[in-house]
Amino acid sequence: MNRTARVKRSRRLDPLSLAGLGCLLLLVLVALGSLVHAGGDPDAIVGPRLRPPGPGWWLGTDNLGRSMLPRVMEGVGTTLLLSSAAVLVTAALSAGFGILAGYRGGYLNELIMRVVELLYSFPAIVLAILVAAVAGPGQLAAVASIVLVTIPLMTRLVRAAAVAVAERDYVTAAAISGAGLPRILGRHVLPNVAGTIAVQGTYALSVGISVEGGLSFLGFGVQPPQASLGVLIRQGGTYMMAAPWLIIGPGVVLVLAILSINVLGDGLRDRFEPRETRSLI
Amino acid sequence: MRYRLAGSVAAVVLATSACGGGMEAAPPGAAATGSAAAPGYLAVADGKLPAGGALNVAVHIDSGAATGLDPQLADVATSWQLMSLVYETLVTVGPDFSPQPRLAESWDNPDPTTYVFHLRKGVAFSNGREMTADDVVGSLKRLLAAKSVWRGQLGPVEKVAKVDAATVKVTLAKPYTPFLAALANVPAAILPMKEIEAKTLDPAKEMLGTGPFKVQAHRQDVSWNFARNEHYWDKGKPAADSLTVTIAPEEAARVAAVQNGSSALAALGNVDSAAMLAGAANVKVATQATTDFYYLMLNSKNPKFADPRVRQALNMALDRKQMAEVALGGQGKPTGVTPAGLPGACDPATLPSATAGGAAKAKELLAQAGIANLSFTLSIYSTEPAPAVAQVIQQNLQQAGVTVKIEQMDEASWAGKVYGKVPATFDAALSWFAGYADPGMVTTWWNPDVAGFNAGFMQADKDLNTLIAAATETPAGAERDKALAAVCAKVDTDAQMIPLVTRPATIAYRADGVSPSLYATEGYGNLLRLVADARVKKG
Repeated sequence: MNRTARVKRSRRLDPLSLAGLGCLLLLVLVALGSLVHAGGDPDAIVGPRLRPPGPGWWLGTDNLGRSMLPRVMEGVGTTLLLSSAAVLVTAALSAGFGILAGYRGGYLNELIMRVVELLYSFPAIVLAILVAAVAGPGQLAAVASIVLVTIPLMTRLVRAAAVAVAERDYVTAAAISGAGLPRILGRHVLPNVAGTIAVQGTYALSVGISVEGGLSFLGFGVQPPQASLGVLIRQGGTYMMAAPWLIIGPGVVLVLAILSINVLGDGLRDRFEPRETRSLI
Repeated sequence: MRYRLAGSVAAVVLATSACGGGMEAAPPGAAATGSAAAPGYLAVADGKLPAGGALNVAVHIDSGAATGLDPQLADVATSWQLMSLVYETLVTVGPDFSPQPRLAESWDNPDPTTYVFHLRKGVAFSNGREMTADDVVGSLKRLLAAKSVWRGQLGPVEKVAKVDAATVKVTLAKPYTPFLAALANVPAAILPMKEIEAKTLDPAKEMLGTGPFKVQAHRQDVSWNFARNEHYWDKGKPAADSLTVTIAPEEAARVAAVQNGSSALAALGNVDSAAMLAGAANVKVATQATTDFYYLMLNSKNPKFADPRVRQALNMALDRKQMAEVALGGQGKPTGVTPAGLPGACDPATLPSATAGGAAKAKELLAQAGIANLSFTLSIYSTEPAPAVAQVIQQNLQQAGVTVKIEQMDEASWAGKVYGKVPATFDAALSWFAGYADPGMVTTWWNPDVAGFNAGFMQADKDLNTLIAAATETPAGAERDKALAAVCAKVDTDAQMIPLVTRPATIAYRADGVSPSLYATEGYGNLLRLVADARVKKG
């Protein structure tokens, strides 16, 4: 295989990542479908309580006699929207602070890292409750909480990657040839830490989903009757032995979502950092 | 009074073989499992078991110290429940809601406005000092002078006087039928007035009563430790040597505590607990019917609900049967303001809102009131099953074209939002009242001038107040039933606080850990009412 072909191939996503992307797109489609009530009204009481899957309620009914199918569809939408919005914010902030701290070092590095460590020292759910108490319960509080919970780890890892990149010859060469800070960071450092951000983003997404579930459970996140995967799984956990369909539907979808995000994240990392060997996370 | 109890939220629960065909609700007022108990009881403690041992129970909230420990100022059922372990009242209620002797051995009612109480001999506080008629007179006078919510329930007490060392006479200005039932609740407990007056005891900080237990230790939001009161007058009680009340806000934690035996008894909130725990080894679940009921508060000081037609329209659109069946798993009952289940209570099916014509008529009435696209926020706390009731309300009102946004929070934040500001700023809220033992008692809370706590969101209605007074003055009988029915109908059309469905209480206990006594129906939200009888099983 000649060099051109190899480069070309490395710029494509491998089949596994493509499958992940496809699955994710499918989930997005399902979420869009719930907006037009494709599976039915997620809040409507349609049948007896706690019935196993059957005609009229293909994923069973919950403790209020609502069909689980439209609720899972709505849950996918809520969770993906909240978590991805939060992770995008986290990724943007972490990339900015992490690269700056890693490249500039010195006092700026100390300041950013100490603040991040301060955030890191709080248990996730305590931090989330604090945010919800200040911002008031609701989706905004959920997004802000996920950002605060996921930002410390991602910033530290981006900084670590940026420290390594900062010492590379081409960065030094760029600096010597008079490139400004924004150009060095944006053109030379960022692309080389993008893999870390992509992989951490997938991790943050799964953390985000669990924080969202915890917050909604405490009444600080998604408000009833809106469904999210976190809410549905929490509720389903209560009825796990008696009405397992309540947790199987959202559970399977959650596994699918996280798996496809992870696989896709892995593929993205290969795409950005083709020379490194493939890892599972 | 505002009453909330029992469980919260998610629970990782266990065993049962009900996976195949869905779950059937346990009938209210019946033990899901276990042997037949005496009439009026879900369970009766086995007196043949040896006394002694340490009893552990788990509840969902520690409301005690938040508002202080003075029983006269306690205004929520969870506080009354805890304080009832230490404090006792002159009378108590039996399984049929009839007044029963407690610190008063007997009483005479020579005329409708005079009650003469003959005090029990040999009653002592847990510090060993004997209870006197002065303690009784002093306690009642202190309550009448206190800024206590319960003051409103005592009725038109004119005079409290000591007749002799063992007799106390209470004179009312007018007849007041629920008087004994009002005396049966913890805020009317007999306090050690000698110590309080000598200022050697601050009842807001320390509990000292004649009850079966005395406090040993308290860690806020963690646990209460009680030891038996060696001076307790009812010899042989309490059966247990010590009692630990663990505070576990998460329902899952309470379920787990009963499953692993670390708690012998726990209060649960999930209405499906009985079905879900049906297969768990050595765990019994009993569903206690209560006279407590959920009610919807529509803030009439908020312009949205100032027009009575709007409130009436919402009331018409509510489907109480669906709330009882769906949100409460068939364990609740639709109710008017007189709690369903109490003798003399009105029939909710005959109320104006129930016969008006449902959502379609509600829409018409809203249109008449010039309201289109009504939308409001319903504030609730996350303790189950309140969120389930709220979601059924939301579905019901949607049928009438009304949009409800549910705002869920923890109980403390909820209380701050609903009772914290005068005038209140919320749109609508959901809570429950204890129904007590007399159908006229809870109606008193519909008079904001007497209740006080709801003056921030409720306008007094003179006609309704007159009807309430008439119902509480009339002696029990057909005449009173009529008066109560009139209150029911008026509350229904007033629709500022709308009664919905009765609240079931669920208790799980270890069959190999405790033999408890439990009433089949409870009126004051007190799951631990008979805990002094409970026998601990050892080994």
